[in-house]
Amino acid sequence: MSGTWITTRAWLLMLPLLIVMVAVIGWPLADTVQLSFTDAKLVGTSGSYVGFDNYVRLVSGNAFGRTLFTTTFFAVVVVTTEMVFGVLAALLLNQQFYGRTLLRALLILPWALPTVVNATLWRLIYNPEYGALNAALTQLGILDSYRSWLGEPGTALTALIVADCWKNFPLVAMIALAALQAVPRDVIAASYVDGASAFSRFRFVTLPYLAGPLMVALVLRTIEAFKVFDIVWVMTRGGPANSTRTMSILVYQEAFSFQRAGSGASLALIVTLIITVLAIAYGTAVKKVAGSAT
Amino acid sequence: MSALVVDNIRKSFGEVETLKGIDISLESGEFLVLLGASGCGKSTLLNIIAGLAEPTGGDIRLNDRSLIGVHPKDRDIAMVFQSYALYPNLSVRRNIGFGLEMRKVPVAEREKAVAEAARLLQIEPLLDRRPSQLSGGQRQRVAIGRALVRNPKLFLFDEPLSNLDAKLRMEMRTELKRLHQMMKTTVVYVTHDQIEAMTLATRIAVMRNGQIEQLGTPEEIYNRPATLYVATFVGAPPMNILDVVATNNGLLVAGSDTVIPVPPSLLAGLPTGGSLKLGIRPESFRAEAGGLPLTLRCDVTELTGPELILSGSVGSQRLVATLPPRTRAPVGSDVTLSLDVEALHIFDGETGKRIN
Ligand SMILES: Nc1ncnc2c1ncn2[C@@H]1O[C@H](COP(=O)(O)OP(=O)(O)O)[C@@H](O)[C@H]1O
Ligand SMILES: [Mg+2]
Repeated sequence: MSGTWITTRAWLLMLPLLIVMVAVIGWPLADTVQLSFTDAKLVGTSGSYVGFDNYVRLVSGNAFGRTLFTTTFFAVVVVTTEMVFGVLAALLLNQQFYGRTLLRALLILPWALPTVVNATLWRLIYNPEYGALNAALTQLGILDSYRSWLGEPGTALTALIVADCWKNFPLVAMIALAALQAVPRDVIAASYVDGASAFSRFRFVTLPYLAGPLMVALVLRTIEAFKVFDIVWVMTRGGPANSTRTMSILVYQEAFSFQRAGSGASLALIVTLIITVLAIAYGTAVKKVAGSAT
Repeated sequence: MSALVVDNIRKSFGEVETLKGIDISLESGEFLVLLGASGCGKSTLLNIIAGLAEPTGGDIRLNDRSLIGVHPKDRDIAMVFQSYALYPNLSVRRNIGFGLEMRKVPVAEREKAVAEAARLLQIEPLLDRRPSQLSGGQRQRVAIGRALVRNPKLFLFDEPLSNLDAKLRMEMRTELKRLHQMMKTTVVYVTHDQIEAMTLATRIAVMRNGQIEQLGTPEEIYNRPATLYVATFVGAPPMNILDVVATNNGLLVAGSDTVIPVPPSLLAGLPTGGSLKLGIRPESFRAEAGGLPLTLRCDVTELTGPELILSGSVGSQRLVATLPPRTRAPVGSDVTLSLDVEALHIFDGETGKRIN
C-alpha cells in the first residue's frame, strides 16, 4: 500500500522537472523530426512533406561520407592523444617533486579557457605572417619560409587536432590524477616489496584503479570530439577546401549557409543518432570496466 | 651472528623526530613484537626495515649485510599489511604468486609454491577468486600466503589482525604461531594489542614516542617491567598503581594509614620520604593469608565466571584485584588480601623508572 503512495509521491515530485524537460528537449526534438521530412527553407514557408528524400540525398551525396570520415578521424586521433598524454601527465604529477602544486594548478589552465579564446590563441600561433610556430621553426632552421598552417588542406586538420588536444588533455589528466590518488598506498608498497617493475606496477596495480575513471573520460571526450563545432568554426570554418569540415559544421552549413532547414534537421538527427549509439555502447563498457576494478 | 640488527635508527619528518634512535638485535628465528600505542612510530620503523622509507640516520643489517640504499625488492623481506593490500583485479592465485612472477620464477615452480602456501593456509578452494569475493579473514590468509611463498629471510607484519573480529583474530593468532614454529623464519610483528604481543613474541619491544622503552622476553616484560609505562601498557586489567612513601615500617599508602610491611632488604634500596609508585597486578593478589597483607575496602564485585573482579580502595586510592570465584568479599566490608614480595613493582615517582 505504502509502496504505491511512495511511487505516486515520487512522480509528483518529479512532475515539474518532467514538464520542463518535455518543453525544452522533447518538443524541439519532435519539431526537428517533423522538419526533417520536409523541404522547408530557413525562412519563408514551412515546406511540404517529402518523406525520406532529405535522408537519402544526404547519405548518398559525397559531402556526407567525407565529413563522417573527417569527423571520425578527428575524434579518434584527439581522443587517443588526449588519453595518452593525460595519463602520462597524471603519472608525472602524482610524483613527489618541488613545484608540484603549482604545476597541478597550471595544468588545468588550457581546459579552463573558453574554447573561443583557445582557438583564437592557436590562430595567432599558426598565423602565416607573424605566428609563433613559423618563427620558431624558421629560427630553428627546420623551415625555410613561413607557411599558412590553417590555409593549406594538408596541414589544417593536424593544426586543429593539436589545438584541441592541448585544450582537452588536462581534463583527462585531472580525472586520471584523482584516480591515482585513490590507489591505496599499501597496495603500491606491496608491489615494491613484491619486486614489481615500474611497468608491471602500472599494468597490474595502478591501471585497474584507473580503468573505470578513464573509461568515463573516454566516453565524455569521444562524444564531445564527435560533435565538435566551436574550435573548428573559430579556426577554419571547415576549410580550406572542406578539409576540416566536421559533422556539426556540415549541419550548420546545410541549415544556415544553404538555408535548407529541412535537410539540416535530417543531418542533425543523423548526428544525434550516431552519438546516441556511441553513448549506449560506451555506457555498457563503462559498467563492465567499473565492475571489474573494484 | 644476529639475523637482524637495527642500529641507532632515526627518522624525522621535517621538524618532528618520529624515531629517536632505535636499537634492536635479533637472532635467527626470533619472533619480535613491536608493541606500542598508535602513533609511536611502529609502522615507520617497519617501513624502514622493508625499504619503503629511508631512515634519517642509522643502519639496518640483515645477515650482516647493510640494507641502507637497497631496493625493497632486493632485501629478501616479505611484508603483510594491515589493509591486506591485495591486488584487486588479480585472482588469489596470482596475488599469492605475484612476487615470484615478478622475479621471473618458472611457472611450474611458481604453481608449486602457490599450491603449497594455499594448502598451509587452507585457501585452496579460493585460488580462482578475486579479492573482492573474499571475507576479511580469507583476505588476510591470502596476504599471508603472498608473503609465505617468497620464503624470505625476514617477515614483517604490520598489525595484520587488527581488522578482524575478535574470534577470527584469536584463530589467526594461533595459526601464525603454528606457521612460525614450522617455518622458523625471523619475524618482526607490529601490534598495539598486548595479548597478541604476549602470546606470539619470543621477545617484545615496547615502544613509546619513537623510543624503545623496554626490550625483553614476554616474561621479563610482564614480570619485571622496566618503566611505569610498560607496567601499565601490558596486562589486563591493567596494573594497579599506588602512590606510596617509604617509611621505616614499610610502604605507606599515600592518603591512608595503611602500611605494606615489606622486608627491610627491599626498603634499604628505596629513597625514604620520596614519592614512589607501587605497581601491583590485579592477578597477583591472593585471598588466603601467607604473604604481605594488604587490607582494602570492597566497593564492587563482578563475577565473570572463572574469576571474581574486586574493585576496592585503600584510603582514596582505587585498586582492582582478580580473585578465585568463591572468594568471600562482601561489598562494603574490609577484605585482607596477601601479596608476594616479587609481585611488588616499585617505580621512581618522577622518572617512572623501576627501582626494585
Ligand atoms: N609520511 C609521513 N609524513 C609525516 N609524518 C609521518 C609520516 N609517516 C608517519 N608520520 C608520523 O610519525 C608518527 C608515527 O607514525 P606511525 O609509524 O605510523 O605510528 P604507528 O604505526 O606506531 O601507529 C605519527 O605521528 C605520524 O603522524
Ligand atoms: Mg601503524
